[in-house]
Amino acid sequence: MPPLISIENVRKTFGSGASLVDAFGPVSLDIEEGQFVSLLGPSGCGKSTLMLMLAGLLDVTSGQIIVDGKAVKAPQTDVGIMFQDNTLVPWRTVRGNVDLQLEMRGLDPRRYKDRVLDLLGQVKLLDFADRFPHELSGGMQQRAAFCQAMVHDPHIMLLDEPLGKLDAMTRESIRTDLQSLWMTRRPTVIFVTHSIEEAVQLSSQVAVITPRPGRIDRLIDINLPFPRDLGVKNSPEFISHVREIQEIFRGYGVI
Amino acid sequence: MATESSDQSNLGAKFGALVNQSWMFIIFFIGFFLVWEYSVVVFDIPKYILTPPSDVVRNGWADLPKLLYFSYITGLETLLGYVVAIIVGLPLGMAIAFSSVLRRTIYPFFVCLEMTPKIAFAPLFISWLGFGLLPKVIIVFLVCFFPIVLNAILAFNSLSEELTRFCRSTGAGVWRTFLRVRLPAAMPQCFVGFKYAAINATVGAAIAEFIGSDQGLGFYIQIVTGNMRPDLAFAGIFFLTLIGLLLFGAVTLAERLIIPWHISVRRVRTT
Repeated sequence: MPPLISIENVRKTFGSGASLVDAFGPVSLDIEEGQFVSLLGPSGCGKSTLMLMLAGLLDVTSGQIIVDGKAVKAPQTDVGIMFQDNTLVPWRTVRGNVDLQLEMRGLDPRRYKDRVLDLLGQVKLLDFADRFPHELSGGMQQRAAFCQAMVHDPHIMLLDEPLGKLDAMTRESIRTDLQSLWMTRRPTVIFVTHSIEEAVQLSSQVAVITPRPGRIDRLIDINLPFPRDLGVKNSPEFISHVREIQEIFRGYGVI
Repeated sequence: MATESSDQSNLGAKFGALVNQSWMFIIFFIGFFLVWEYSVVVFDIPKYILTPPSDVVRNGWADLPKLLYFSYITGLETLLGYVVAIIVGLPLGMAIAFSSVLRRTIYPFFVCLEMTPKIAFAPLFISWLGFGLLPKVIIVFLVCFFPIVLNAILAFNSLSEELTRFCRSTGAGVWRTFLRVRLPAAMPQCFVGFKYAAINATVGAAIAEFIGSDQGLGFYIQIVTGNMRPDLAFAGIFFLTLIGLLLFGAVTLAERLIIPWHISVRRVRTT
């Protein structure tokens, strides 16, 4: 079976002439359906750029990205995207924000009521369904944003440091939620992060990216069984993966 | 759940909080007028220079029919100019925000015009259009139009990158994106313009009436000042202020109703 996502020699540059900046690549990477792939790299390495190109929100300079047999040329719609700054709108409640994804796609939220409530229940937000984003903590907001990003049951989820602004404790608890959401529907997830532990805990594969212009240095399979709770961090495999990646980054001189 | 009785006690608590917050202001306010009242007497200031507030109330009351009629005239000019400024300014601001051609042509022109004092056009409009209602409405319009249109441009141009990307990834068309995301997201900044314009609207009306008019509060203030009646001038200024307050209050109320979710108006929910 061909891979769901095929990144072929993709390069991105900004500007031209003397001010040309090599932002990313060339990179080639195949992603199988149902995988949770982390793009792990130092800041400025272009991992967010790759994510935007995967979403069709940014053109590739050369090379091509093929999703489900078709080259990406326009914004992809069978995706759920999430950023460090969430896309909750302040004038809608939590449930209204999840419905917004449906309404924007011309779907009738009334027909998806059960699914919306089910998702909110999974992230423990059922009691907050009628609250507005500003009444929620940062962690709850990101949980709501997960529901918004996956209510339409996308094949592919593109998550650009969704936990980036949260405190360490909240991050731990949301990772668990994110993992259980992923495990129920098994979408293909591309997860941008610069936390080594986070990448190892959540992913089935970690793509280690070099400093700018980012290239994929290594693709590491993480073969620990799912679900992985906090206890997994004490397992020898987990520790050895984290050490291995730390060594790679030490080699770049970024840590 | 809020019951009726808890609503009432809530109201009582709110009133108590209001008194708590504003008693200093109330005392200052009363003190200000007492000092005014008695310094006129103590320093023996002639009545054609400054009158005590009690005279303003008494003589203003005696002239109330005229003051009310002129308030109606000035209020009408203000309201018409303001409403037309919104009707024209809001869609135009939207169009400029979404059209790169307009942004390169009309927008810089508007920025230049914003720098010119609109009031300076008043004599021209009076000479072109005479003493009637229309030139005053136009001048109020000019004063209100620029803050409305410039804030609308800013409002419709400042959707966050994340939300723009979200909208594109849903595949929603221009119209759906506009109704569900762009328009509500732009409202708070639009209201910044509406409120600024509301504060300045009566300035436009009053100055237009100073320059050429035979009715309205601006005309009234000018005439009574010429007749050495500062008491009546103050009464006129009071009504002019009242028009401004009513307009501003109405806009603030509309803001509360239209964007209750926004940080500038929302209240912390206590339930």
